[in-house]
Amino acid sequence: MRISILILILGMGIVTFLPRFFPMAFLTRWVIPERVRVGLGYIPIAILSAIVFPILFFNEGGKVEIQPHYLLSAIPVFIFTWKVKSLWASVILGMLVYWGLGFVL
Amino acid sequence: MRDAGFKDGARAALPIVLGYIPVAVAFGVLARKAGLTTFETGLMSLLVYAGASQFIAIEMISKGISWFPIVIATFFINLRHLLMSSTLSLYFKKNRFRTLSLLSAQLTDESFAVAMSNTSKISNRPSYLFGLQMTSQLAWIGGSIGGALFGRLIDHKDYGIPFALSSLFICLLVIQIKKVRHLWVMVIAGISSILFKWAFPGNWYILLTGLLALGIGMAIETARRDKR
Repeated sequence: MRISILILILGMGIVTFLPRFFPMAFLTRWVIPERVRVGLGYIPIAILSAIVFPILFFNEGGKVEIQPHYLLSAIPVFIFTWKVKSLWASVILGMLVYWGLGFVL
Repeated sequence: MRDAGFKDGARAALPIVLGYIPVAVAFGVLARKAGLTTFETGLMSLLVYAGASQFIAIEMISKGISWFPIVIATFFINLRHLLMSSTLSLYFKKNRFRTLSLLSAQLTDESFAVAMSNTSKISNRPSYLFGLQMTSQLAWIGGSIGGALFGRLIDHKDYGIPFALSSLFICLLVIQIKKVRHLWVMVIAGISSILFKWAFPGNWYILLTGLLALGIGMAIETARRDKR
């Protein structure tokens, strides 16, 4: 194994560990004020929205452009999950719709 | 950790496994193309375990960029985990340092989202989160090594594979929406994430959107208290 790659992997390992570790290690030892607790409760939805929506409206080059293939696949997954709360069924449905649309679009 | 919690968590990881394997295979293929050995590919998935950064690292390695800029880029890409780790910390009071460091080392967007889809299951149950995260990372490592070894035989752009993780995220988002208030958070976060991504380079938009939601949440709660 090359030393430069080893340094790279260790370096990446350390910098990915720190932001994962610090809040978990130290915030668990503090009493968090109710206000912050409520604010933290909004984070999962916000982060998930921030992951999902840009996928639908940006192209691979990072320019704003509606992505019909993704958008048309996302809508059925959205509706399906609303009715049937099954993670893996939604993943498979999403893949099938996306695959099927590939023949049409 | 071989109790019901671990098994429960491992079972909850199945959708993540389904989403990870194709992406990890793609990573394995590209890593080999960029000149990494199979061992180095697997080691990166073991020690780094961060999808986006690993892909970017591979891209930068193949362009001949040295380790330091790659590590800096990785650091900034993964700052978003600060917020997820903070949110998770609410559910793990009174756990040992060693337990917390193991749990946090395997934190990813996907495992965080699955964990948050049913917080009653993770609350002070490290074994559940271990099961969930360990299974997810095994899929990631296994997929990377598999891709590095045999990846050239599979076309990872087919069979809806590019949409697997997106469907998982959409599904996890929908599960989080339980009240009208949550729908508003989604709309505001969705619009601001698009604006942030448009305005700032890289993937700062995820962290910024999270911080915005944290700020708004705290402001609303403060306003509500003042009324009382």
